[in-house]
Amino acid sequence: MVSRVLRGRLLLDHIGPTYTEVLKRQMESSASGAQDRLINKVIDKGLCVACGACVGLCPYFHYFDGKVLAMARCSRDTGRCVEICPLIDRGDIALDKMTSDVMNTPEIGPYKKIIMACSLDKEINEKAQYGGVVSSLITYALGKDIIRSAILTDAGDGYAPAGTVARSRSDVIGCAGSRYTASAGLEALNMAIKTGEQKLGIVGLPCQMEALTRMRHMGSDGENRANSIVLKIGLFCTWALDYRSLFADLRNRGLREPILKCDIPPPPAGVFQICTRDGWREFPLNDIRPFIKKGCSLCQDMTAEWSDISVGAIEGIDEWNTVVLRTDLGLRLMEQATEDGVVKVDDLPKKNLMHLAEASFNKKERGRLTRGEIR
Amino acid sequence: MKGISQRSGDIHLLLQGNEAIARGALEAGVVFCAGYPGNPSSEIIETLAEAARDLPIYVEWSVNEKVAVEAATAASFTGCRAIVVMKQNGINVALDFLTNLTLSGTRAGLVLVTCDDPSGISSTNEEDARIFARIIDAPLLEPTTPQEALVMTTWAFELSEKIENIVMIRSVSRLSHTRTRVLINELPSFDPRPHFDTGLSFHTFPVVAKHKMRHEKLDLARVLFEKSSFNHYEGAVRPELLIVSSGCAWTYVTEAVDILELSDRVGTLKLGTTWPLPKGFLKKHLAKCDRVLFVEDVDPFLEDNVKSFGADICMEIGPKEYMGKASGHTPSCGEQTPASILRVLGRLFSVDWQDHAFMDKVSPIVKDIAPPREFGLCPGCPHRGSYYAIKTALAWDDRDGFVSGDIGCYTMGIWPTGFNQVKSVHAMGSGLGLASGYGKLDRFGFHQPVVTVCGDSTFFHAAIPALINAKFNGADVLLLILDNSATAMTGFQPHPGTGKTAMGTKTDPVDMEALCRSLKVDVEVADPYDMLSTAKIIYRNMQQKGPRVLILRRKCALVEGRERGFPYKMRVDQDLCLGEECGCDRYCLRIFRCPGLVWDKHAQKAKIDGVICVGCGICSDICPQRAILREERE
Amino acid sequence: MALNLIITGVGGQGNVLASQVVGKAAVKRGLRVTIGETFGLSQRGGPVMSHIRLSRKRDYGPLIPPNKAHIIIGLEPLETIRVLPEYGNSETTFVVNSWPVYPLNVIADEVEYPDTERIRSILEDAGGKLYWLDATRLAIDLGAPILLNMIMLGTLCALPDFPLQMYDFKDVLVDMFPESRLELNYKALEIGNEFITENEN
Repeated sequence: MVSRVLRGRLLLDHIGPTYTEVLKRQMESSASGAQDRLINKVIDKGLCVACGACVGLCPYFHYFDGKVLAMARCSRDTGRCVEICPLIDRGDIALDKMTSDVMNTPEIGPYKKIIMACSLDKEINEKAQYGGVVSSLITYALGKDIIRSAILTDAGDGYAPAGTVARSRSDVIGCAGSRYTASAGLEALNMAIKTGEQKLGIVGLPCQMEALTRMRHMGSDGENRANSIVLKIGLFCTWALDYRSLFADLRNRGLREPILKCDIPPPPAGVFQICTRDGWREFPLNDIRPFIKKGCSLCQDMTAEWSDISVGAIEGIDEWNTVVLRTDLGLRLMEQATEDGVVKVDDLPKKNLMHLAEASFNKKERGRLTRGEIR
Repeated sequence: MKGISQRSGDIHLLLQGNEAIARGALEAGVVFCAGYPGNPSSEIIETLAEAARDLPIYVEWSVNEKVAVEAATAASFTGCRAIVVMKQNGINVALDFLTNLTLSGTRAGLVLVTCDDPSGISSTNEEDARIFARIIDAPLLEPTTPQEALVMTTWAFELSEKIENIVMIRSVSRLSHTRTRVLINELPSFDPRPHFDTGLSFHTFPVVAKHKMRHEKLDLARVLFEKSSFNHYEGAVRPELLIVSSGCAWTYVTEAVDILELSDRVGTLKLGTTWPLPKGFLKKHLAKCDRVLFVEDVDPFLEDNVKSFGADICMEIGPKEYMGKASGHTPSCGEQTPASILRVLGRLFSVDWQDHAFMDKVSPIVKDIAPPREFGLCPGCPHRGSYYAIKTALAWDDRDGFVSGDIGCYTMGIWPTGFNQVKSVHAMGSGLGLASGYGKLDRFGFHQPVVTVCGDSTFFHAAIPALINAKFNGADVLLLILDNSATAMTGFQPHPGTGKTAMGTKTDPVDMEALCRSLKVDVEVADPYDMLSTAKIIYRNMQQKGPRVLILRRKCALVEGRERGFPYKMRVDQDLCLGEECGCDRYCLRIFRCPGLVWDKHAQKAKIDGVICVGCGICSDICPQRAILREERE
Repeated sequence: MALNLIITGVGGQGNVLASQVVGKAAVKRGLRVTIGETFGLSQRGGPVMSHIRLSRKRDYGPLIPPNKAHIIIGLEPLETIRVLPEYGNSETTFVVNSWPVYPLNVIADEVEYPDTERIRSILEDAGGKLYWLDATRLAIDLGAPILLNMIMLGTLCALPDFPLQMYDFKDVLVDMFPESRLELNYKALEIGNEFITENEN
């Protein structure tokens, strides 16, 4: 080691890495396993969106209080965690082929029909965001034994919201409402499949719908796993928020948990609304943006293109939902539910359809550019 | 009465070094014994506690070493012989009192035994307690064998009373834990009549005068040392090399001299009274030859002191070549062994002592195939559950948190058996002291959560002041007391929380929770076997401010196994076990690392090692397949 | 010259107790004996080694000098081979329990436990005599794995040149165990003893 004194300051010449640094580097360079790739490319880069697809497959990942965490190092060269992660590029699989009778648009993806709908169930309408279509359809599917149970997102039991299994109408209503924070709902799916549950329905974000599509191509048991899911309802999503940093900030702003309800009204409101026991409070959307999950900026799917039915809000029509019916199953379920008086439907105004296509296209473009920058 | 407390003498017993020291104290009529457990010293107090069943003596495990010396000193001040015992680290704790005590002086014989642990075989450090004899101006005796340890201990009480000051005995692990045939002597009658003579006073003033008296007492000891039979010379009249040695290492020296057939070329000077040096005796033998080799455990204590004395008298004895730690002839640290001594003597006398043919044949093969045996927590150890919960909570929290460790079995948290969670370990109670410092760094932008662990015995020993410090200064601290209801590492000695004293009498246990609550520190209790719930509690506490205490309570598995036994017979359902497949990757073996769970090579699945597994059942909770089954034992 | 005996194994196998039995029996017989014990931080699972030095004439130090062991009793194969280069020589007699206690780093698949047959052949090739027995299995069959140490002690007194006999050990055990457990421990001693006498030729 050479050191010299310059203008009264002791300068240390570069003496190379310390012993500990060398050990660390050796460990990193030997990190070539499947899980290491996931940790290096997604988790350590802060890109994980907490979809939960990798959680519950093995003991190496946990979802806890709003975060997906690598608990220990797995040494396998291949792993389902990497294969299912929607943040890992997988050029090698063509995601599920679509039948030729669907419209396949570059903006909204494949669909058979786009309509607007709203629930006719008073109890659901009271609790639900906008039209209550999702809760109504799930309740309906449970009642008709189309599905036996549904993977939804709970309100969080002292921690961040997490996935849960709903088996009854009251379970479903307990989960109604938007969360805006990532909640690893697929963990609950993985656990349900492990206990042998069949005929599952699931409500999830676009990233989660994509993960479910990857699931079919995953490992040795992907096919079986995928086959236990019969209904996929995707939610429109522009981004999700990081629960921990968001609520740390909100707590500093004097907000007291638990959170009863959140809302981001369609533009041009530009606010994030949050309801606690102290009532509703509103924060400028720009104050909330720093807490958007970094990985969401890579996403190119706003309308949950890999689902049977995608549901979102409609600008200017508060009591209704936009509904994209993408598969035969989705189409049939909506028709039956309408016939049985569970929901009512109407045509989506042209203007709204154009706005939707534009917003969705913009997200694709932004995602594509960001993906290029980050990778 | 049999064994250690038998009154009759002239009998050979198989005694451990520590037992011999205890017997030596009994033969001196000791009535007050105190100490704090610590390898390799613990058996001395344990042996005396056992003797207390038959003899009218008092024995206690004190809360820490400083209090132990203070309590024993009280006995000395009232005219009762007393012994105090500790490991090398203990002297550090007791030193403040000792530096003052040797100024005030003592009355009835008071002997301090320190058992050093060369190579730190069961310690966090390697420390030579002999230098403290110099610091406090106390006479120092170093026994070489259990037999000598017995005699020296008895004599140390006489010496202490003669010079009216405390006397130190230094043992080392190897001596303390050596068992050998020892001749015991008759016990005196025990008839203590404690009385504090108010005509006397024990304090340090006037300081300089007392300091001078202290030196005079040491000079008095020196005079006695000159004629002590604990020092002797063996070998040639005009040796080519004089080996100066003390303690256990001397036994290796004599054997090495035999093996190398050097008995008529070297002289061995064995010193048993190593501070103050018996100068006249030394001078006589130093004059015999020009080359001097020092062989001693840990620090160059004899080496430095003899060299310094040699400089004083160099005009009389002439220049010498001194060899030892400073010259690099002997290792500068670590335990002396027969091999280390053969090596240096072989080199100095050009004698080839090694069986090269044999070594060349087996060494490379064995080196190649024999992996080291990793340190591990016992099967069923509650600390494994505690560290698993801590690791889980820290990973969930994801702010790069870490554990500030302390001293006990749970120190092994620095290794894979504790999932490498512990990032620092120093002295007893220091984990919390450090944590109280980390807990004040937030104002500078430090936001890594720190969890500190300490054992139940360690908590009482030295963590309480640190907890008060954290409370006083408002530090963000989460203390996990790993309460296994024993001083487990050193052999299950009772402590203030166990409700039992060293002598086995029942006592009102100190209530840790109440103690913490009296400081208005939040206290919770959790079960380390319930790893997931405990992790949640730790996580929740990590999100809060100010000092908090969480007690993770489960009896030490060895105690539990002895007292009640474990409820389960464990079994791996190999049809469910995934082995190395995705979804497991041998999770229970690679990550959880319990010695009771092993790999079944034939089936390529995990299995229970029925010989090792105790049946605590916690591994069942970590298996992703629920393939590890708890079956009730009949 | 002392008779140098090493008992090596893993914490929890009853090593310390076994060496105490030898020591006490030696003292009763009027022999000089020194036992040095090495154990580490852990109560269970760490290497534990006892050096036992028996002599009619003088006391020896607690550590055996390099390559001077006459008999090595291995309670565990890996620990036995570990002491071979340091203390063994071409005439050392080995009595080894073939049942492994796996180190944690082996369990975790970070290092490999050597094939026990390989260990056996290395010990065989070392030059001296080797007695290789599945003593833990014998102990389990007898009633409890902890009887391993008594079985191994039983082998010891059947070795030629070993100065203590079975009755010396039995005599000592009387003071160490409650009467209810004596019979089982005696039986274990005998099992070990028989193994050597049967394999002597």
